[in-house]
Formats: sequence, structure tokens, C-alpha cells
Amino acid sequence: MLSLKGIVAGYGGGSVLQGVDLECAKQTITCIVGPNGAGKSTVLRVISGLLRPSEGQISMDGEAIADRSPDEILRRGITQVPQSHALFPAMSVRENVLMGGYLIRRNRALLRERLDMVMERVPVVAARAHDNAGNLSGGQRRMVEIARCLMLDPKLILLDEPSLGLDPRSLSGVAGLIHELNAAGTTVLLVEQNVRLGLGLATHGVVMEGGKVRLTGTAAAIKDDPEIASLYLGGTSGSPTAPRPTARSKAEGPKTETTGV
Amino acid sequence: MTQLVQAIVLGLLIGGVYALMASGLTLIFGVMRIINVAQGAFLILVAMITWWLWRVTGIDPILASVITTPLMFGFGWVAYRLLLSRIRGASPSMSVLLTFGFALVIEGVLNVTAGNKFKSATPSYFEESFRVGAISLPKAQVFGFVAAMVVLAALYYVLTRTWTGRAIRAATQNPSGAALVGVGAAGTAALAFAIGSATTGVGGSILSVLYPFFPASHYDWISRLLGIVVLGGMGSLPGALAGAGILGLAETLTATYGSLNWSTLVFYIVIMVVLLIRPQGLFGAKLREDTV
Repeated sequence: MLSLKGIVAGYGGGSVLQGVDLECAKQTITCIVGPNGAGKSTVLRVISGLLRPSEGQISMDGEAIADRSPDEILRRGITQVPQSHALFPAMSVRENVLMGGYLIRRNRALLRERLDMVMERVPVVAARAHDNAGNLSGGQRRMVEIARCLMLDPKLILLDEPSLGLDPRSLSGVAGLIHELNAAGTTVLLVEQNVRLGLGLATHGVVMEGGKVRLTGTAAAIKDDPEIASLYLGGTSGSPTAPRPTARSKAEGPKTETTGV
Repeated sequence: MTQLVQAIVLGLLIGGVYALMASGLTLIFGVMRIINVAQGAFLILVAMITWWLWRVTGIDPILASVITTPLMFGFGWVAYRLLLSRIRGASPSMSVLLTFGFALVIEGVLNVTAGNKFKSATPSYFEESFRVGAISLPKAQVFGFVAAMVVLAALYYVLTRTWTGRAIRAATQNPSGAALVGVGAAGTAALAFAIGSATTGVGGSILSVLYPFFPASHYDWISRLLGIVVLGGMGSLPGALAGAGILGLAETLTATYGSLNWSTLVFYIVIMVVLLIRPQGLFGAKLREDTV
């Protein structure tokens, strides 16, 4: 459904992505893992149109989208939840979710129908509808961020580090929601530094390093790959759902990745 | 007692007009982090156009805002596209430099075309008053207040009940979040600047009747408006209303019980005291730190 071929992209100076090839099949959950600076978040930004690649092709259901603007890509059913701070803090939760339907604002009936659907699927939206988004906890905020992107009934959801800064309980809530959405037919592409969690959630895994894809396969195969295990899983302790520290190590490589959008 | 009620009523009438004038400034700052120092010059420009229309055609100055409002909307749109869009992403201090230059250009052009003399539009009701019991309400002040309230109500409606307004508020609070849902930053900013400028269409028309003006009057006005906006909280519309009401009351109460000369000073003392206690202003946004 989504396919990237030979993507080269960067911010001003050098290229963060140096020829990325990636495929996401329909109704899969693909998780991109890799060290800091590997270009994981940049891949998402290129797909959602926030960053234009200098070379390469991206196609969605056979249609080329690499040179489209962010709102044109949204219209094609690709929505993104960034690492953090995507909401409008002084607007109510209901209005925040409603803003997710900005592109379908002319179709009131559809808007109402989607809002009802989202409220049913993500109960926190109904429960806190009239509270300001700025007063939500981190976990609730992440749920509302995901809820907001459901307003366009996306075919593909891009999630940038959904576990970032969440406590274990919120984390299992978010993981549950991702599974539900996937079961309902949505394709998911996520970036995760918590490798155990990410690959545990996913059906497919992609390992990135230095702006290139090093390995792809089923999530189980990636997890069992001895090299990956020693590189990324060896040092990890605790349960798969344990939150990882939010402070990032700077020793892991060049810090070319940007945070947020 | 009558004297006190008279001062309070008059203070609120004046405050309502100030609120309208400050609303555009705070809206523009809220969305774009642009401090439009030229807002005062926009007001004087409109007052001058209104005065001219009134002299040539005899049209009522306050009703002339039907003409000047769309004119200023277009003026704001073009000014944003040609000038202010170039400093998008720069620091707010850059916007002060740019808009100050813009204000000087407007002042200079008005000096050359209209002359450096005090002007004032004086329609037939200029010196008349409504009387409610012992209270006297100058007609021009009442009409100005009513026009200001109509425009503020319309502005409130647009911001809270329409998609345009939601997009503007979204872009105010989180520009990158707005981009993610398909709100274009450039279009929203131009629209907000145009709406903010359009408020001077009515504000300047009212000004032409209520206050004598000349090209350099914009310095007085922008300092008053900035005072209101800072007191209320930069970017907050309810804050601008509150700040404007306080300025109006400070002026009339000081003029009634003290001397006219002290009225502006009292307002700035209020600002200083408020900022000592609440540095973000009365209604300034103070969010949980992790949401910023």
C-alpha cells in the first residue's frame, strides 16, 4: 500500500536519509527501530509531506505522493501523530478532535458521524470533552492525539514514538488502541526507541542505521535476529512495557534527527 | 453619587471603544507573534479617510466604517503578503522594527497629503447627549460604543463558532499541530492580520469623531493600546476587554476626582502593580509547563 524507493532527504546541510527503501503492506503494523540519528522520524516526516525528499519516490496505493503538500497527503488518508505537543492546549478536547476533521469541515453530516465514532472508540474524548487539552495527563493527551487523527478515517497512521513519556498503564492503553485500529483495517507505521515494546506491538520490523534500512522482516524474526538482539535488546532490562527513560543518550551517534515537528 | 455613576458609565463607554481598538492588536500578536506597532497608524489612517469621506460626501463618520472596514481588511491582507510574510519565523522584536517603519511611512504620507493639523469629524449629533435621569451620555460616545460592541461580538462569533476562527485559534496555540490537521500557516496568518487590520476600520471611524487627531497622534494611540494588551495579557481577547475597561475607568475616575492630567499616569500605575503580581497579565496564558 505504501512504498518508498531510494528516498534521499535532509535538513539544509547533509542528507539524513541516504536512499531508504520501505514497504508497508495493507493492515500491517510496521515498526521502525534504530539508534538516534538513524533517520526514523525523518522517514515519517517525508511520508506526511512535512519534509520534501530531494530524491526518490513515494507511492500510496500506486499513486506518487512525494511532491504533494501536507494537506494533499492528509486527503489521501495518511495522518501523523508526532512525538509530542500536537494538541491545542487552550481548546477543549472536543474542539481538538473536531480540528482533526478540518479538511472535511464542509461535510457536516460526515463530521458528526466521525466525531461520534471517535468518541466511542476513544472514551477519554467523551469523558473529558469540555476540559482544555492543556489540562490532560500525558497518557490522555496521547489518546486524544490519536483520536484526532481518526477524524479523517485514515488508511495509514504514522506514529512517532507513541511510548514517549508515558507511564505503564497509559502505555498499555495506547498499545491497545493501536491494536484495535489495526484490527479495524488501518495500516500503522510507527517509530519506537523502546525496541521491545515496538516490535512486540508490530507485525513487521524495519531496522535503520545511518539513514539507510539495514534489515526488514517480520517483527518476530527481527526480534530473534542475534545481531539485533545484542545491539538493541541485550542491554534492555525489565518488562516489555516498562517506560524507557525520556532523556536520550548522546553517545549513540550523530544527532541529526530532529525532535517533534 | 451621580458624579460617580456618571464617571463609571462614561468610563465603560470609552473602554468599549478602546477594547475594539486593542482587539486587533492582541489577535495579531496571538496568531503571529507580531507586535503590530503600526496598529495606531492604521487607526489614524482610517480616521483621516473617514474625515475626508465625511467632508466630501457628508456620510456619517461612524457609518463610514461600512466602507473603511473592508478597505482595511484588504489593506491588511496585502500588507501581510508583501511585507510581514517576509519575517515569518523571525523574533517578535523584528516585527516591532518592521511595523514601526511601516507606521513612520504612513505618518509621513499623511503629513504630506493631509497636512500636519488637528482634525475632527463633527456630525450633527456631535455636541448632543442622551439623558438618563441625572446621567448624561454623549451621543457620539454611545454610538461609538454600540458600533464597537457589534464588531467585538462579530469577532467573538467568528473566532469561536466558525472554522476560520478555529483555524486561527489552532494556529495561535500550536502552529505545527495546526499544520498536521491541514491548516495552512501562511493563509491563516494573512487572514488573522487582515481581520486584525479590519478592526481599525471601525475603530478609526469612531476615533475621528471622539478624538481630535493629526498624523503623529498614532504614537499616543499605540502606547495606550500596548498598555491595554500588556495589562490584559498579550494575545488574549478577554484580556484586551478587561484592560480596555480598566483604562476607560481609570481615565474618567481620575478626571472626575483628580485632574485630567493624571488620568493616563494612573493607568500605567495599575499596569505596573498588576505586572508585579501577574507578570503574564490579567488573562495571559500560563499553561502547564510541559504543554508549551
